[in-house]
Amino acid sequence: MIRYLLLRFWQSIVLLFIVSLIGFMVLNLAPGGPLSQYTLTPGMTKEALDRIAEQMGLNRPLPIQYLDWLWNMVQGDWGNSYRDGRPVLEVINRHLFATLLLMGSSTLISVVIGTWIGIRSALRAGTVFDYATTVAAMVALSIPTFWFGLIAIYTFSLWLGWLPAGNMYTVGNGSLGDYAIHLIMPSMVLALVNVAVWSRYMRSATLDVMSQDFVRTAKAKGLAPRRVLMKHIVGNALVPMITLAGLQLPTLLGGALVTETVFTWPGMGRLFLDGLGYNDYPVVMGLLMFSAILVLVGNLAADLLVALVDPRIRLD
Amino acid sequence: MTEATRFTPTRRQALLLMGAAGVTTLVPSLSGLGAARAQETPSGQIVVGFSQEPTVFNPHLLHIEVDEGVHYAVFDPLFDVDPEGNFYPLLATEVPTVENGGISADGLSWKVTLRDDVTWHDGTPFTAEDVKFTLELMVDPDFRSWRRTGHEHVQELTVVSPTEITWKMAKPFAPYASILASTFIVPKHAFDGVADKNEAPFNSAPIGTGAFKWKERVAGDHIELEANTEYFGDGPYLERLVLKYIPDLTVLYTQFKTGDIDVAGLQWITPDNYEEAQTLEGKEVQVVGTATFESLTFNMERPQFQDLKVRQALYHALDKQAIIDALYYGVPQPTETYMPKESFYYNADLPKHEYDPEKAKALLDEAGWAPGADGIREKDGVRLAFTNSTTSGNHLREQAQQFFQQSFKDIGVEMTISNLPPAVMWGDYWMLSQFDSVVVGLNTLTGPDPDTSDYFMSTSSAAKGGAGQNTWVYQNPEVDALLKQGGELVSPEERRPIYLKIQEIMRADLPFLPIFQYATIRGWKEGVTGYEANINNRIDTWNVRSWRWA
Amino acid sequence: MTAAALSAPRPRWWRSRTVRRFTRNKLAMVGVILILGLTLACFVGPYLLPFDELFIDLRARFAPPGTGAHIFGTDPLGRDIAARLFQAGQISLLVGFFAMLMSTVVGTVVGVVAGYTGGWLGAALMRVVDAFLSFPSIFLLLALAAFVNPSPIMITIIIAVTSWMEVARIVEAEVRSLRDRDFVMAARMLGLSKTQIMFRELLPNVIGPIIVAATLTVARAILLEAYISFLGYGIQPPLPSWGNMLNGAQQYLDKAPWLAIVPGVAITMAVAGFNFIGDGLRDALDARSDQR
Repeated sequence: MIRYLLLRFWQSIVLLFIVSLIGFMVLNLAPGGPLSQYTLTPGMTKEALDRIAEQMGLNRPLPIQYLDWLWNMVQGDWGNSYRDGRPVLEVINRHLFATLLLMGSSTLISVVIGTWIGIRSALRAGTVFDYATTVAAMVALSIPTFWFGLIAIYTFSLWLGWLPAGNMYTVGNGSLGDYAIHLIMPSMVLALVNVAVWSRYMRSATLDVMSQDFVRTAKAKGLAPRRVLMKHIVGNALVPMITLAGLQLPTLLGGALVTETVFTWPGMGRLFLDGLGYNDYPVVMGLLMFSAILVLVGNLAADLLVALVDPRIRLD
Repeated sequence: MTEATRFTPTRRQALLLMGAAGVTTLVPSLSGLGAARAQETPSGQIVVGFSQEPTVFNPHLLHIEVDEGVHYAVFDPLFDVDPEGNFYPLLATEVPTVENGGISADGLSWKVTLRDDVTWHDGTPFTAEDVKFTLELMVDPDFRSWRRTGHEHVQELTVVSPTEITWKMAKPFAPYASILASTFIVPKHAFDGVADKNEAPFNSAPIGTGAFKWKERVAGDHIELEANTEYFGDGPYLERLVLKYIPDLTVLYTQFKTGDIDVAGLQWITPDNYEEAQTLEGKEVQVVGTATFESLTFNMERPQFQDLKVRQALYHALDKQAIIDALYYGVPQPTETYMPKESFYYNADLPKHEYDPEKAKALLDEAGWAPGADGIREKDGVRLAFTNSTTSGNHLREQAQQFFQQSFKDIGVEMTISNLPPAVMWGDYWMLSQFDSVVVGLNTLTGPDPDTSDYFMSTSSAAKGGAGQNTWVYQNPEVDALLKQGGELVSPEERRPIYLKIQEIMRADLPFLPIFQYATIRGWKEGVTGYEANINNRIDTWNVRSWRWA
Repeated sequence: MTAAALSAPRPRWWRSRTVRRFTRNKLAMVGVILILGLTLACFVGPYLLPFDELFIDLRARFAPPGTGAHIFGTDPLGRDIAARLFQAGQISLLVGFFAMLMSTVVGTVVGVVAGYTGGWLGAALMRVVDAFLSFPSIFLLLALAAFVNPSPIMITIIIAVTSWMEVARIVEAEVRSLRDRDFVMAARMLGLSKTQIMFRELLPNVIGPIIVAATLTVARAILLEAYISFLGYGIQPPLPSWGNMLNGAQQYLDKAPWLAIVPGVAITMAVAGFNFIGDGLRDALDARSDQR
């Protein structure tokens, strides 16, 4: 177990190193720089921009800049945002809640609905319900999330006027109900794709479990169908679902980013786009690293959880 | 609308500038401000929506326009500029002029007297040391000062007494008054013992002398400021000012409509919503000119653009009015120059643009640009084809650009659109004039000052080793001479003919095709009193000290 | 997705069965019809329409669908949306197709090499794959798109750069499971070079999963192009793409909802088509699917 953890740890470190190298190259090898956004400020001169670039150390050779960044990063200093001078981790932390709220609520929705659809269509494999949900799931996977968001805004905000078109809450009103009403549309939109994914996996997982001997035995022992379902099928099908949850994390995070851009949700996706727009390299780098770490930790947690739940799996 | 005029007791003839020898009515000290202090206690709050997020609170670090929304509320300059272009004193007791002895006749010696009743938000008294510190900070080699222009000429800064400071200018520099009018004074004591001024705690929790005190920032969401009840001047009347960040103009407008925000601030109401906005119940809407002009800008180094006839022909091929009316819903005004109409220096007699594709073709024929096999004109082996760039993602401009493309095609000119992300566009590509042509909105002025040396002087092209932004690589010795002359004169009346002449030359030379002067659509809730637009200063909060609820 | 049925060196016999299984799959057939229909419309449609996709007519802006000959209405510059939709489809489909081609080639090469050679090279290659998979590819894609010159070729390349890992992973697993099979041993004993074994002997045996993955990659690439162009970092106007037709549509959502609806439906149809086909192929190639 310890050996396994150590191995995973070292693998993760190597991964993070590669991620940081790729990210740094992408940002810094491209033309333009973090200061070009100030060019059109009235009274701005080439002299001022060159001087500030020099002062900020942006003229140093890239390998030096990278090593400098890496060294600080290893020591826990992720650098400061170019925009507001605050430490990158603090900046990310401020946007974390919004993203987690969105991801959490949409995961809750998709797990509940997806599990229900998945089990139901597995139990009724071959029926109209099964077929219809299969097709629906494939279509759902094909709809661009951002476009679905636009259509939702058009339908529920502009046309019906039921829900707010964006933001996390109304200015000056931070009540729970206000949050909830703002959360409905983005979390539903984000859940759409995930419901499809979850229900597909749940369906095949359930089918796998159903075909195994112990379920047949349980049925033969005369246990009530519902109990068989609950105890064995769900229990066993949930194991691969945990792995799936880990694997789905990048997709979910990516989906959250897309959703946030459509609904002006003040989370990490918004921060990332702002960071790109303002060429706030430290924040962009920080978010790349942060999301990679989040994904790695998520996968690891899923592996450990599976090992805990399923005694047949041993980690070494 | 009338509230802010209390700060501008001078009449129109007092127009400008300190040092103005011919100006007899000096801007008087606003001693009335202090007297009016014992006013009502501040009450209520106003929520201003901005589509960008203010993040830089030290006004002397590199920042964008929206950051000034905070600076104007929290800090004061020595004196400021009103919408008419008049200076009015804030931290200074009076605006220094030649008349009152504040500036020597040659424009080289300056003396500013300061108010003695000002304290910083933390209770420390404000003195001449703070002014000295601020002016030195601007040129501190270790400090990432966003602007040194003007300040670099300041020498022999001397604190005569806590309320008096003097300095010498290395050379006469007329725009310096306008630069000072946007130089906020920061407290010296906030930087005591701070090793790296770029990282001072002050930068994220600013201490000023302004009408509002820093309360808190919820990043990505809003900034809250509270009334400075000890403010030396008139106001504030509001207990709280909230600057709300709404990263989407559509949502900004929606929230203005629903009343979630009281003032639709920076980036304002989009032109497509103007018509509806006017009909909104309980909302005031106003179109306001700005000092930014939209132009199709040429790289004069390119062989295609060296022929004046080509530039004239392209100008004739532009249907300006169609773009303004259709794409911009008639909000901005067509213009022939870079100078805003509201300016004292605006040249109203420039030849009017005519949309006339036939004339455009005739001009090109005349100049010997004959259509080639593919219908694109050419001459001496040069095809009349060029790329045009702008920031990708600016929808209206991209639409206008595509319209230009079609208009030019009709006269046998090929314009290829090649838009770039902002980071690439406004880096070396723009600064070092690597483009063929660009559609851009520029403000080439310094506040109310008409000087544009950094943009039009032949020595200001970075492509030629200069330090300015003459990205046209426009070279005209006559303009150079006029700019130099105008920068050394102090009297507005004497300077005016010079700048009228420059505009005339630019209109004739057409290094850029002026399209329109930008206008913004301001909106506020009925009952918000004191809100006033200022051409010399686009940010909404420039006079926030006098805002109140009716 | 087992390789059992595929591992035999002579692929011909399963082919017909696969084809039969595929053609019996109704959903897959719907997919084929969707894609054929869209391709036909996009590449032939422009010749049948009375409008040029670039022709601007400011007087006709924001015409709702069905106005005169504008079956899908007009955009903010008065251009015909149908004409733009079809031209955009050419771009979007081509970007999707070539991004798939590139990422499949890269993914396959990486997968085969990593799977066959194993050892430190294989491990290193797979760590790179993991690295690319471990951040949400949309972050990487946007970071890339925001800083490169957004020509269609560049967009295709950066989509490929963020899409090759799935194929690599699948191929690596397949090849690893095959590399100690008898026919590989035999090839080795015959003295075939590593390259020959990898690409002549092993590759044909994993072609099934590659085709499936490639089909799904087209769908993914179309979605990605749409998203980055929607944000303004992708294909640049005046060149239309389905994504950049949506760029700006949000602003006109209440005034001209068709600007958003029409391209979105086209994207969904194309992506769904490829997903249906990919799923059908997977079932058809999967020996177990007969039992289900």
